[in-house]
Amino acid sequence: MTPARRARWTEALVTTPSLAWLLVFFVVPTVIIFAITFKPVDLYGGIGKGWTLDTLKSLFNPNYPAIVWRTVWLSLATTAVCLILAVPCGYYVARSSDRWRQMLLLLIILPFWTSFLVRVFAWKVLLHPEGPLKHALAAVGLIGPDTLLLYNEKAILLVMVYTFLPFAILPIYAAAEKFDFRLLEAARDLGARPLRAFWSVFVPGIRRGLLTAVLVVFIPALGSYVIPDIVGGPNSEMIGNKIAQRTFSDRNLPHASGLSAFLTLGVLLPLLLVLALQRKKGEEAPSMQEVS
Amino acid sequence: MKRSVIPLLTTLFVLVFFYLPIVVLVVNSFNASRFGGTWEGSTLEWYRMLFRETSVWRALRNTLIIAVGATFASVVLGTTAAFALHRYHTRLQRLHYTLIYTPLVVPEILMGMSLLLFFVAAGFELGLFTIFLAHTTFCISYVAMVVLARLQDFDFSIIEAAQDLGAGWWTTAWRVLLPLLAPGLAAGGLLAFTLSIDDFVITFFVSGPGSTTLPVRIYSMIKHSKNMPMINALSAILLVVTFAAVWGSQRLTKESHA
Amino acid sequence: MDDFLVFENVSKSFGKVRAAADVSLTIRRGEFFSLLGPSGCGKTTLLRILAGFESPDSGRVLLNGRDITQLAPNERKVNTIFQSYALFPHLTVAQNIAFGPQIAGWPRAQIREEVDKMLHLVQLTDQAHKRPDLLSGGQKQRVAIARALINKPQVLLLDEPLAALDLKLRQRMLIELDLIHDEVGITFVYVTHDQGEAMSLSDRIAVMDKGRIEQIGTPAQIYEAPRTSFVAAFIGDTNFFEGQVVELLGGDYSRLTVEGFPSVECFNDNKLNVGDLVYLSIRPEKFRISRERPEPAPHVNAVQGRVADVIYLGSLTKYWVRVQDYRIAVWRPASRFLLDENPITWNDEVWISWHGDDSFMLERYSESDEKLMEAPPEQVGDPNGHGAAKP
Repeated sequence: MTPARRARWTEALVTTPSLAWLLVFFVVPTVIIFAITFKPVDLYGGIGKGWTLDTLKSLFNPNYPAIVWRTVWLSLATTAVCLILAVPCGYYVARSSDRWRQMLLLLIILPFWTSFLVRVFAWKVLLHPEGPLKHALAAVGLIGPDTLLLYNEKAILLVMVYTFLPFAILPIYAAAEKFDFRLLEAARDLGARPLRAFWSVFVPGIRRGLLTAVLVVFIPALGSYVIPDIVGGPNSEMIGNKIAQRTFSDRNLPHASGLSAFLTLGVLLPLLLVLALQRKKGEEAPSMQEVS
Repeated sequence: MKRSVIPLLTTLFVLVFFYLPIVVLVVNSFNASRFGGTWEGSTLEWYRMLFRETSVWRALRNTLIIAVGATFASVVLGTTAAFALHRYHTRLQRLHYTLIYTPLVVPEILMGMSLLLFFVAAGFELGLFTIFLAHTTFCISYVAMVVLARLQDFDFSIIEAAQDLGAGWWTTAWRVLLPLLAPGLAAGGLLAFTLSIDDFVITFFVSGPGSTTLPVRIYSMIKHSKNMPMINALSAILLVVTFAAVWGSQRLTKESHA
Repeated sequence: MDDFLVFENVSKSFGKVRAAADVSLTIRRGEFFSLLGPSGCGKTTLLRILAGFESPDSGRVLLNGRDITQLAPNERKVNTIFQSYALFPHLTVAQNIAFGPQIAGWPRAQIREEVDKMLHLVQLTDQAHKRPDLLSGGQKQRVAIARALINKPQVLLLDEPLAALDLKLRQRMLIELDLIHDEVGITFVYVTHDQGEAMSLSDRIAVMDKGRIEQIGTPAQIYEAPRTSFVAAFIGDTNFFEGQVVELLGGDYSRLTVEGFPSVECFNDNKLNVGDLVYLSIRPEKFRISRERPEPAPHVNAVQGRVADVIYLGSLTKYWVRVQDYRIAVWRPASRFLLDENPITWNDEVWISWHGDDSFMLERYSESDEKLMEAPPEQVGDPNGHGAAKP
């Protein structure tokens, strides 16, 4: 074999396993979501024979616009709050001394390593009507005895921020670490006030990290299901809850897959937008390497 | 130049925010009060209750079986993928990268739902095996990213050097590549193991009767709001185990760097 | 001629870039042979084809009469010193050196013996059990050499082995490489962009540009008798002149007109006709410079001009003399005590003269090659640029 032919062989050898696996277990199932939307339900909660437009019609459920709207604004709000907290935090960590920085990073990543359900449950305990936070706040008179901290949209937003914040801090920190902080001094030297220097020099300097942060917060947030399920109430459902409800309670797989197809489109849109934005600037796709 | 205190204050706030619920949870696992609103004396009752709960132990066993299998499969697939992505810059690899990257941002519920439909359509019986397939699928991407990061500062002329000195493909992989990539593989494997143990959403969609994992068990306990203090106890144990594992792995990587 | 290692019409392209364009060359057994050229000239590609990391698009490589073009790297009796050394970081110095023999399946005792011998050769016996990352650059370099040599290769390839070292270390390693070559007596093929390294080490040099070999010869041949403007300008400094043959003199001389110069006598060894256009290269140190007009002598040319720039460098003084449209570089060695003289300085009227044997007719000329040389203001404080050019 010639070296050139051998190189092609080796490439095929190391590419095929993962590529084939992802084609079968990621691409094909995603396509199936769209296909099953046009299948009828059978009596036993499975998928029937033939094709139908019933599911598509039932997606025009009058309750859905409100749920879609709630999903979008909760995701947007989560992203915004995460960025507001993550930018100063990433800045601070990047400017810390070496030892202190390792420590801070570990402290920030640690919650990510602990069980997701446990973290959500911890908030349920904390916010519970009989829980410690309620008692403390009521005792100092900040809230009335009847205020409900749990089972509403505010609780969902709080726990979503809690869950996604590490994912926002890490890429922003990674970008800030590569930022040349002398540029801030230069901006000050040229007459900018601190906030102005921060806003017009530092923020554009970490643009790549910001985009990654938006991507890894907003998109998974759109698909939230456990958080609204545990800390939300019957009037604060998100799309994820509906998908689960159609799947497990109603046993209507085609309907669930119609909703999933809708969500997939909603997810692809911002994803492609961000990727195109970065491609245009000649940058690589944002990476999740920082997360680990 | 005087530095603003806002970044420091934000960081402190974030850290308090991160650890407050966790601390409250652990403290409450020793609280005799059912809801933990007030301190009603310390107790180990909830822990005793937990150890008598056989369903939890069965779920733990399932979780570990799946995690070990998915870690092994995803480390193999993720490493070859990272190697291909790093070594070649063909059009095929661009597609490959997109396929590796997308699962990292796709909401879990979509992955769970699509895999459920796929398994139903393909006639798979839902159970431990389908959970294993699903976990391997999302772990591949994470392992590939971790190993890829390690490969960035890997000097590939070392491979050429090995071949130059007479080593064939197999010898090069076994005697040079593997020992050099071992820390990266360990890091990727640890991540895959943790993700697999922790995964709830995808597991929930593709699990069948008798294949309950620990997160699925915890979820149903939370949902049915019974034995809340027992979940506190279980969570506290999980937290301690996780922190110990992270601490241990930090020590390990530090030693291998020295 | 000993056809030990032969490239036969080797071509290789990467996309649109031609890294080797129909290269043919022969390397002799035991020779220290250098491939010299600017980055991107294709020298490393030739080396990688020889090592087996690339395969040529067309052409053959023969080693000892055997076609090795399609052999894998591990099937060739050829070993490489990599630019980054490529030492195995997880193995000790001794284990690195033992890697090749272990794969070849030598008996254990023999491996130990040979490794000791190699450690001794490169003076690393007391570092044998260290990991490579604890070694200095020069030590790493020596481990790489020992690791390659222990396999008793027929050819040792060196890819810019000194590029990563600082100047002082580079000069020491230069001497060590030379000693090692003398001691082991195998063929070295050395790739570098540094003319000084190539000049001081090589038996012969192939100067490359844009995938082609411009000239092959001993260092002195290449310096003294460059065949193309690229070679003349890449190795050392020179002056280019354009002229026309007006008269064929007896022997091997001819008379030219160079624009604005009265008449120039020039040595030529190939057939010329009256009216031919020729390009000359004259090295700056071949000129003499004086205030008075030199005594006329056979075949000596003299022109008058004005000093436009002077740079005093101690061991020599560099002048740039304006003659008509030309700016002629003239290097004058400080062979006498300068302070006693009244040295030639800026704006002086001077005569420069040279012997007809010291001008060289080029076979090929390209104006862009003039950019390869240093221009006056930039090279202040960089005396190495010249010192390295000495043959």
